[in-house]
This record gives sequence, C-alpha cells and structure tokens, in this order.
Amino acid sequence: MANLNGRARQENTYDAIVVGSGITGGWAAKELTQKGLKTLVLERGPMVRHLEDYPTATLDPWQTKYPQGQLPQEELAAHYPVQRRTNYTMTEYTKHFFVRDDQNPYVEENRFDWIRGYHVGGRSLTWGRQSYRHSPIDFEANAREGIGVDWPIRYEELAPWYDHVERFIGVSGQAEGLPQLPDGQYQPPMEMNCVEKAFKAKSEARFPERRITMGRTAHLTEPTEEQLSLGRTKCQYRNMCIRGCPFGGYYSSNSGGLVAAERTGNMVIRPGSIVTSLIYDEKAGKATGVRILDATTRQEEEFYADVVFLCASAFNSAWILMNSTSSRFPNGFGNGSDQLGRNVMDHHLGVGASGEAPEFADMYYSGRRPNGIYVPRFRNLGDAATKRSDYLRGFGYQGGASRPGWDRDLVKSGGDLTARGFGAARKATLSQPGPWIIGLGGFGEILPYEDNRITLNRDKTDEFGLPTLSMNVTIRENEIAMRRDMQTAAAEMLDAAGFRNVQGRDSGYSPGLGIHEMGTARMGRDPKTSVLNAHNQVHECKNVYVTDGAAMTSASCVNPSLTYMALTARAADHAVQARKRGDL
Amino acid sequence: MLNRRDAIRGGLALTVAAAATGWAGAATASALTWTPTALTLDQAHLLEVVAELIIPATDTPGARAAGVPQFIDRALANYYDKAQVEQLVGGLTRMDADARAAHGSVFTALTSQQQVELLTTYEQEAITLRTQASSQKNHFFPVLEDMVTVGYFTSEPGATVALQYDPVPGAYHGCVPLAEIGRAWATR
Repeated sequence: MANLNGRARQENTYDAIVVGSGITGGWAAKELTQKGLKTLVLERGPMVRHLEDYPTATLDPWQTKYPQGQLPQEELAAHYPVQRRTNYTMTEYTKHFFVRDDQNPYVEENRFDWIRGYHVGGRSLTWGRQSYRHSPIDFEANAREGIGVDWPIRYEELAPWYDHVERFIGVSGQAEGLPQLPDGQYQPPMEMNCVEKAFKAKSEARFPERRITMGRTAHLTEPTEEQLSLGRTKCQYRNMCIRGCPFGGYYSSNSGGLVAAERTGNMVIRPGSIVTSLIYDEKAGKATGVRILDATTRQEEEFYADVVFLCASAFNSAWILMNSTSSRFPNGFGNGSDQLGRNVMDHHLGVGASGEAPEFADMYYSGRRPNGIYVPRFRNLGDAATKRSDYLRGFGYQGGASRPGWDRDLVKSGGDLTARGFGAARKATLSQPGPWIIGLGGFGEILPYEDNRITLNRDKTDEFGLPTLSMNVTIRENEIAMRRDMQTAAAEMLDAAGFRNVQGRDSGYSPGLGIHEMGTARMGRDPKTSVLNAHNQVHECKNVYVTDGAAMTSASCVNPSLTYMALTARAADHAVQARKRGDL
Repeated sequence: MLNRRDAIRGGLALTVAAAATGWAGAATASALTWTPTALTLDQAHLLEVVAELIIPATDTPGARAAGVPQFIDRALANYYDKAQVEQLVGGLTRMDADARAAHGSVFTALTSQQQVELLTTYEQEAITLRTQASSQKNHFFPVLEDMVTVGYFTSEPGATVALQYDPVPGAYHGCVPLAEIGRAWATR
C-alpha cells in the first residue's frame, strides 16, 4: 500500500472525493464544487468528453460497418453475452458505452442482467431519460404495509430538491395534478400523435382514473439561460440519444453536471481510477479517503478528503463498502445492520399489450420523438376504489403509437411471408408507412426482500485480482400477481379505445433488465436495520455518503434517476453544511 | 398495386403483374463494376440480377444502383456466421442448378419471366416450409430477400430517395397528413 507523507499526501488531498461520474456522480461533483469544495472525481473507465467522444452520433444508416449497425453474433457471444440481453443496448452505435462482459465477470446464482457502462458519464449517456418524482404514497408505503423499513424522509423533504434538479437538467412534461405522480418544473411537453390523442380521449372516457399523459423526459424543449450557457440546445428529435447527443438535447453528466463542475475550477477528474476501498481511521472514527487501482498502470494509490461520496452505481457502491473491511468493519464498511447488499430491487417489465389502429391511415408524423406516452400508476392509491386484493403497490405504463417502416415485413420483424411478395409492388408498399400500431408496456414496483442480495466473491476475482459479485435476485408472488394485472389492464385500455387485434403479452422478465438496480445500502431510521441515514450518510461513519441507487428504501414504479439526483443534491448540501459546522 | 396475397390465393400468374410493375428487363446484367470479397464473380453477377428482381429500379433506384450486392458481399465477409453464409451461397448455387434443369442455362441467362417464375417457386416453398410447424429449417429465399431489403433501405439511395431521411428533424409534429410527407421515414 502506498503510504504517502508530507507533500505527496497533500497533493492527493481534497475537500471531497466523488466516486463515479454517472448521473449521481455528476450531480455530487456539481453541487460540491459550486459550494466551494475542492473535489476529486474518480471514474474507473476512460474519459468521454461531451461532443468530442460520441464517435457514432452522426452516423447515417449507410455508414455502418455492419447491416443496421448490428454486431456479428460471434462478437456478441464472445464479449457481450449479458449486455446483449436487452436487445437494444449492444450495437455498433453504442458498444463503446457498455462494458465487455468477458472483462467484467460476475456470478449469476440466479440470472441477473447487469447492464452497465464504465466510462466518464456512465449510464447517464445511455439512460432512458424518463423523469418522474416519487410520490408521498411511495415514501409512506413501507411503513404503512410493514414492508422492509420506513423511508427516513418524506416527499416534502425531497420536493425542493426535485425542483432544483429539474430546473438544471431540463424536463419536458405535462403537469397533471395527480397525487400519485407529483408535478415538477417542466418545459413544454412533447406532442402526442393522432392515434395517441384518440387513445387518450377514448380510454380516459372509459377509465378516467387511468390518466394518459405525455412522457416526462429530460430533454430540452425550451432551454433556460443556464442550460444554453452550458452549451446545451433544444432537442432536435433525432432519437439517436443513446449514441450521445451532439446538441446536448438530453441531460447527461457529460453535457450537464460535469460541465458545471468543471467551470467552477474546483474539480479534478481522474479517469482510469478503480476505487477498491475506503480508508478508515479507527482513532478518528471516520474515513480519510479512498484507495484506488490505476486501471492503466495497475499501481495502487491513495486519495484523501474530509468527505467521500459513493456514486458508483448501486452494485458498485455496495461492492466498495463490502470490500472495505477493517477491525471496526469486519463484514463490510458500515454494515453493522447486515443489510449491505440486500434488498436488491429493479422494475419488472416486459409485459403489456399492443393493438392496431385502423383510423388515421392518411396521417403521419415528422421528427423522431425520443419519448412516448405515460400512464401513471392507478392501483393501490390508498382508497377503496383502487385497492387490489391480489398484490401491493402498482405500476405505470410507457407506450406509444407509430407507423412501422420499411423493415416491417422482414422475417425478424415477424413479417408475413404470404403477404409480402417481391418486386416493384412490394418496393412501393415499403416506401409508404405501415398501418398504425400502439403498445403499452408496464414498469412494476418490486418489493424489497432481504434475501434478494448480492454478495462478494473473494475467491473469484477479475483481471485486476479484485473480488467479483454474486447475484441472487428473483421476483416473488407479489410481482407475479402484478404482472397478470399489468397485462390485463393494458389490453382493457386498448380495447376500450377501439383498437383491433389487441393482444396482451408477457415476454418475461429477469431481474436487472429494467436497468434500475437499487436498494443495496438502504436508507432508514435505525442503524440496526439500514445502512444509510436520512441524509444518505453511512450510519456508522458520517463522512461517507452513498447517493446512488444503493440508497433506495423502496423502488416505487417510476424511473429512478430523477430521485437519485435529488437525493444526491440534498446530501451534497448536507455535507457542505455539516463540514462547515465541523460535524463530519 | 398488386395485392400479393390475393394473387397467390387466386393462382394468378405473377409474371403478368411482373411485366406491368417493372421487372421486365431486369435480367439484362452488365459486367461487375466492383470486386467481390466473399463471393465468386459468377455468384456476384447472379446476386446483382436477383437483388434487382427483388427490388427493381422504378421511379426510384433499384437494388443494383443502391449497391446492395456489394453490401451483401461485405456482410458475407464480415458479419454473417458460417451457417448463414453457407445458406446464402447454397441458395445461389441452387438457383443456377434449377435454371439449368428447367431451361438449360444459368439463372442470369434466363428471360426475366423465367427468373420471376423461379423466384415465385422459392417464395411458395418458403411459405410451405413456414407453415410446417415441425420444420426447423429456413428457406434461403426469404433470408436473401431480407438481406436485399436491409441493404437497400439502409443505402443512401434507398433511405433518401425511395424513402426519406432527415438526420436532424429539429421538431416533432404528431399529426401531419401523409400526403404532405409523401413517403415513409427511413429511420425511427
């Protein structure tokens, strides 16, 4: 271990260290540096600079190396057996933003789809951008139902931080006044197309409690001065977001938080830095910094700070805590509760319904909207009318209507061979859009189960000799019962709107596929049953904050990144104040 | 526009429609203007003819002008696995064998009507194979047809002339008369 003294130690000393540069790391960096802290951001992967490092962002369809930018089966099987499982993440356009599975092993005691990217910006470059607030119901549910532990905060405590985050990142959306999906600070919503508007009118007439709104998404539709000054501009409706946006149309760490942090002059960012553990000072009873392994030189190094933010993603922040053992923390850092690595949650999906719209054959759309429609949760809202006897919590739907393009009759699209033919007639048919289709897909809440857990394998190491994770996560009766309703209710809505050939479907779900893994170091009121307190501090070591998905006490059914960002901004403010008071 | 399903069910001779929809003359192949990597010169020549039959030049460019044969040759060299390559090359070999058996010369030397008849036979075989639930085998023809289709509509002429492509739309309008837009978008 490199023990540094004197000047060398001083050079490696900062006010704050942020581990990870993704959607929460970027926010921790921004908030801490803007509040005056000299901050070191450690990222295990390589640098990705906004605009400069989006190599595929403007590729046209005819410029790809492979057909439709799809990777050869051999390459997928050899290097991306997990990353390919989503069927959309792993392409020629995107592969540099996802890990190579053969270089980043883990053990699947039960199948777990761990989809991730190791580079500056992390998954903030490739996220789905849907941005919803948790509701008061979400923060109260565990306590009311006796599930897991109670959230140590309530909606009102996070609301101003949601405001703060939404104003900075820019969220386009429609205020709806629904208690189960609080409104936020929105730029103008994107437009529904003809079929979606008709669906909304007809389905809401039959099911008024199932509101249909425009997706709330972290895209700029009316940028603020602040956003423009950072070099971001309006969404251009290219829908190539996952390649990185040359317009800064959607929020990423790279185009937002890290740029703001950089401009303060208070940030140092060090890519290629794999944080292996926290350094704990037994005498002082606090963390003094972190140890890293330099990914290039493979040398160990130490960095020091008054406060450490773990923003490395739910599983990797938990990994760092598990790997940080000492005589004070023999079972992992701050793990007196034995809750570290437990209560893994995600959102279960892959279930819903689709149909065909016979109307509007003469209508189409222009632009590629990187967003869809949203149906906020309408089950178990606390009243008798929405109460389900077969499961707890609820789900939301994401969906949309569109006209399929030229690829609709391909064998892989399920094309009907008897209908397609060949020659000029088929060419003419495919040069026109296909009939409208519409679909709804559910995102369901998963309850926290203590035995849904990840553990550390000290005997199975990766190429750096570091321990790997073992995943043991399954969904249970509550989720399975919910899935039946998710399918039925979606089909009901499409039927009510008069769509044809309405078909419910459940294409299956394996944990992780929602790419919303969370819960591995939960917040709670009691150090005996939770890892983090109400301000995301490790109960047992107050100068370590964990503000990514690990902190989540329950999952809600909404996309979680907005909540992670709000928790991070709130925790950063707390850390700055506490440090000022000498309380860390 | 020919309704393919009705035509097949009604037992219509597809060649009647073929003459009316631009297939005529498609068989007149010129010398290769490119050097194949995965295919032989004869196979590449055959592929040019078949690709143009599948997506002919009409008021917009056809498969050959769009570089589809080169696209497929490249994919055979760097993308498709061994089984897929064998299936496609086997299909090309069979087309020549069938052409010789029926008409005494290779596929490219047949009249366009004879070529279309052979492709129609393959199409019917593929449909029959598909309806046999026990069959695990894919017919080569739909696979070839899909390759041509992907190659064509992702080519610059296919995307920007047969379809329309807007790299930077700048805005989204959800309800626009199709007549104002004209053709399907190349990307979504």
